[in-house]
Order: sequence, then C-alpha cells, then structure tokens
Amino acid sequence: MPIFFILGIPFLLALAALAIRRQRAFGVINSIGYLAILCSSVFLLRQAVFLKKEIACFGFIYLDALSAFFIFVISVVSFAAALYSIGYIRRDIERGAISEKKAGIYYFLFNLFCCAMFFVPAVNNLGMLWVAIEMTTLISAFLVGFYNKKESVEAAWKYIIICSVGIVFALLGTILFSYAFSISGLTKSLNWSDMVPVAHILDKNILKAAFIFILVGYGTKAGLAPMHTWLPDAHSQAVAPISALLSGVLLKTAIYAILRFGIIVIKGVGFAYFAHLMILLGVVSLVVSSGFILVQKDLKRLLAYSSIEHIGIISIGFGLGAPLAIAGALFHIFNHAVTKSFMFFGAGNIVGVYREHNMNSIRGVIKALPFTGIMALLGCFALTGLPPFSIFFSEIMIIIAAFANGSYLVAGLLLLFLAVIFAAFIHHFGTMLFGNIPKGMSVSGEPLSGKIAFLFLFFLICVSGAALIYAGKDLIWVAQRLFQS
Amino acid sequence: MQVMILFAVLVLTYLMVIAKRVPALIRSFRFQSFFLFLATLLAAFKEKQVELYFVSGLIILVKVFLIPHFLDLMARKIKVDENLGLLVNSQLSLLAALLLTYSSWALSRNLGFGQGPLQLAAVSVAFSVIFIGAFLMISRIRAFTQVVGILTMENGIFLFASAVSGGMPFLVEIAVFFDVFISVIIMGVFVYRINKLFTHIDVNKLSQLKG
Repeated sequence: MPIFFILGIPFLLALAALAIRRQRAFGVINSIGYLAILCSSVFLLRQAVFLKKEIACFGFIYLDALSAFFIFVISVVSFAAALYSIGYIRRDIERGAISEKKAGIYYFLFNLFCCAMFFVPAVNNLGMLWVAIEMTTLISAFLVGFYNKKESVEAAWKYIIICSVGIVFALLGTILFSYAFSISGLTKSLNWSDMVPVAHILDKNILKAAFIFILVGYGTKAGLAPMHTWLPDAHSQAVAPISALLSGVLLKTAIYAILRFGIIVIKGVGFAYFAHLMILLGVVSLVVSSGFILVQKDLKRLLAYSSIEHIGIISIGFGLGAPLAIAGALFHIFNHAVTKSFMFFGAGNIVGVYREHNMNSIRGVIKALPFTGIMALLGCFALTGLPPFSIFFSEIMIIIAAFANGSYLVAGLLLLFLAVIFAAFIHHFGTMLFGNIPKGMSVSGEPLSGKIAFLFLFFLICVSGAALIYAGKDLIWVAQRLFQS
Repeated sequence: MQVMILFAVLVLTYLMVIAKRVPALIRSFRFQSFFLFLATLLAAFKEKQVELYFVSGLIILVKVFLIPHFLDLMARKIKVDENLGLLVNSQLSLLAALLLTYSSWALSRNLGFGQGPLQLAAVSVAFSVIFIGAFLMISRIRAFTQVVGILTMENGIFLFASAVSGGMPFLVEIAVFFDVFISVIIMGVFVYRINKLFTHIDVNKLSQLKG
C-alpha cells in the first residue's frame, strides 16, 4: 500500500534526523526518502485517477481522486524542498547562523511538518482532519521562528495565535456538521464517507451556519482575505525551503478541507450558496493582494502576497463550478505550488547573498548569481501567467469558464487584477534583476543540490501545460465528479 | 444540577473578563475547567458510558491540573508585571460580555437548538464562552491572555460538543486534548522567547512587520 510509505517515511526520517549527526549526509538521505514518497504518490495518483479506484482502510484512511491529487502536490513540493534544504542548511552552518545540532532539529521539524501535511488529505474522519491541520500550524510555527530573531519570533507568534483562533472556529463548524448529522436520526459519526451519501437530508440552516464557521476557520489557514494577516509575516520570516512549503502546499491543505466540507454543503444546500461565498472571498483576496503587491518593498512579502492572489484565483475557480473551472482550479493548485516554491527558492538564494529582504537594495542579481537570476526571471514570467508556462493554462481555463458561465463581472475583475499584478511583478523584478551589483558585495557560487531542485521544478512548470493534452480528460473527469460524488 | 453547572461556567467566564491580574485569570480558568469536568462526569453517570468517564478524567488531568500549573509556572518564571494590560476597562468588558451572551442566546435560538430549554441554555452558554474567549484575546495586552483566551474558546467548544451531540467521537476527543496540550506548551515557549528577545510580552508592541 503506497499510502503507508507516504505516511511512514517522513515519520521515520524525523526520528533518524535526531539520531544522525552528520547533516550533509542526512540531507541526501532525506532527499532520497522524499523521492521514494514522490514515486509512491505517483503510483497512488495512477490508482485513484486513472484506474478510478477508491482506497479505504479501517475507516480511518479514505483516498479518492481528490486526496490522491493533493498528496501528489505535497510530495512534489516537499521533494524539491528537501533537495533545496541540503545546500541552504549547509550554507547557514558555514556562516554560523545555526549550529550543527540545530540543523538536526530543522530536519526533524521539516519531516514532522510534511508528515502532518500528508495526513490531511489521507484521513477520513473530519475531526482528525482538524487535528492534522492544527498540527501543521504548531510544528511550522517553530520553523517560522527558527532563527530566533525579533522579527521571526513576532511572525511565529502572530501565526500561531491567528491560525489557532481561526481553527477553533473550524472545530465549531465541524461539530455543527456532526450535530446536523446526528439530529437526522443517524448514528454518531464524523467520517466524510458516511456523511456525503446522506448530505441531502441534513438540516439546511445548520449546514449553512456550519459552513460559515468552516470558511472562516480554514479560510484563515488558507490565507483568504480578510483573514490573511498572518500570512505575509510568517512566509517572509520562515526558512526559505519552509516558505516554499508554506506557500506551495500548506495553504492548499486548508483549501482541501474547505472543499471536503463544501461538497457536503453543495449536496445539502445547493450550489449557489457555496459559489457566492467562494467567489466573494476570492475576489476580495485578489483586490487586497494586488494593492499590497503594487507598493511592496520586501521581496519575500511580495511573494507571500502573490500567494494570497493565487489562493483567490483558486477559490474563484471552485466557486464558478463549471467542470472546466474546477479542472482549472485543481490544475492551478498544482501549478501555483510548483511555481511559488520555485520563486521562494530563488528568493532564498538572492536573500542569502545580499543578506537583505528590501528590494530597493537588491540590484544586479543576474550579474551576481547568473543561474538564480535567470531562473527568477523565468519564474516571474511563469508566476504572472505568461503563455508557455503552466499557470497561463490554468488561469485561461478559469477565465474561459467564467465567460462561458456568464459571470462577466468576475472574469473582468480577474483579468484586470491579473494585469495589474503582472505589471507590478515585472517592475519589481526588472529593477532587482538588472543593473549593477552594489559595491563591496562578495559573490559565492550556487550549490548543486539547489540547482537540481530548480531544474526539477522548472521542468514541471514547462511540461505540465503540455501534459494537459495527455491527461486533460482525466482532470475533467475528476472535476466533473468532484461536486457530485 | 446541570443548570447549576452551566451557571457556574458562565459566572467564571465573567470573572475572567473582569480579572485584572494574571493569577486571577488562570484561577478562573482552572475553576471553569473543573465545572466542565463535573458536567462530563454527570453525563457519564447518566448515560453509563465508560468513554465519558475517561474523557472527564482527561479534563481533570490536563485542563484542571497540567495546563493551569504550566501557566502559573510560566508566569512566575518570566517575572513580568502581573497586570493583564486592559485595553478595555473591566466595566465595559463586562458589558460587552453580557451583550455577547445575549447574542449567543439569539444565535442559538435562530439556529434551532430547541430540543428542550436545557439544550438551548447549554448551547447559549457554550457560544458565549467561545465569543467571550475571543473577546478576551483582542482586548488584553499581555501575551498570556491570548493563550488563556484560546483555552477558554476551546472549553466553550467542548461544552458545545457535549451539549449538542453528546461529545465528539472518542478518538477525536483524545486527539483534540493532545492537540490543546501541545499547543499550550508551544505557545508558552513562544511567550518565553518573546520575553527574552523583547523584554516584555505586550502584544500591542509587536509591530515590526508591516505592509
């Protein structure tokens, strides 16, 4: 069973991280472990999507196409982050920013964090889903405050408090769901697979109220505006590979939770209720983030706000509800995960050399770091949705679906804000990447493992657009069945 | 009997709102958890469920002894000013708490928790504990109150769960307890770190990250 590999390997690696002293060797072992997870998740995806099977064990684990897809996304980004960590942590040790022992703690937390994230799509019980998501917050708070500086501890504190409060509301929503289930005369259960078949007989008012709590709760974790305030702080202060994981996949696990509850609500209350809420939050996220992106001065915060924008696009995609829009949103989840981690790795390299987050002091990256500079330029194009790259395809799918749906206002707003964000990104990256290197800066080489991580992600950014031709039908199949299962 | 327990929980929540110093806040939290323990024990006695006895045992261990003890220890260790730093004074806070109680009653009536007046009362108390917990978090300066606020909200959730659906499934209940315990310890670690780096624990002064 591949799922046991996926859940077990990070846990074993976490234990091994405490035992193995030589960090360089452990980084390599870590990456090999995540390569194995990636292979297992591809196998799982094949089972769930292409062979169209559902996997359940002991009523505890339940995997359908949606969960297999999310596990695949998590495993891709965590593999890349594991690769990138090798060089990044070694540089930090060489500079004395962290001790050898603390590097061990880093790998320990990294693995626990990934383990918790893998649990989120795998569990069947909605209460356990809540526990897994809260665990991701608690573990990653240490990784946000890892350097123990004033800014990072402040970010970690805001992160843990805002997300914990949010998630308390999510628990309230979960209990309301279970209440709706229990008053309809059925046995007490929080299993998703038990709830979906009877969703249409549940009390409508309670489902509506419960979904509001769920949306506020998990929406906080997903970074949907106006509950996003923790996100730029946490993402900009975390260790670079962790920023990639936070932006790339942690937000998506919360989206996954919203979807799971959303499916029950759609069956019980009807689609319009779900659609209005998702589109509203999506558009607000887009508007808020585009404003902050325009005036941003900090490189990593810029990328964090861009995550809020993309979460908004994903939320709009699910809210539109046509199969093409849902397929676009699912595809966008993958594309954003890959592209955003790519960009955070680039930002990690840039910040590592310039020792500065402020974009006004970063000049001439292409001269100082030729490889990272070019990658950051391409990544910037990919992130803003230029054609040969994958984000273009998913965004165009959502926009076409919006026009076909008759939601001209949504489509128009989407296009307008995408244009604004495109201009802002080109401006920020143009001034950073070109120009002359500031005087007195020493330039060091770039580590090989980092380069492999870049090339791996860049390959995915380029080919997944083409993969749509091959797997497009399956994606549409998943999308069609998602809200009707 | 149940009405008495609910009343006690509500009164202790109001005591938290008017508390001005850290030890008083922690003490009120301890007593609130103790009454939750009594409520669970009573339910276990009535329904003769072994699992509920176990859960009530966990409450008394984790929420009445371990967590308040840990918080007391932290408060003594970081040796800061014991005042909570009220952004809203006690009288206004109490007024806000009363308003929140009224709105939670209105909310629970509108949601249709009408299976007997006892359930309505229990749900209203649970909602008001949750909302007052959230109110505590935003109206006090010291980082301690944030931790206790989250715990209070969690207590409200627990009360809500036992009022409407006889508690969550057993395994989930255990996992949530474990989770709460871990989160308090982690928050405690961060309070400690904040105190060490900033030499205060005033959350309104944590404002370096902006924009």
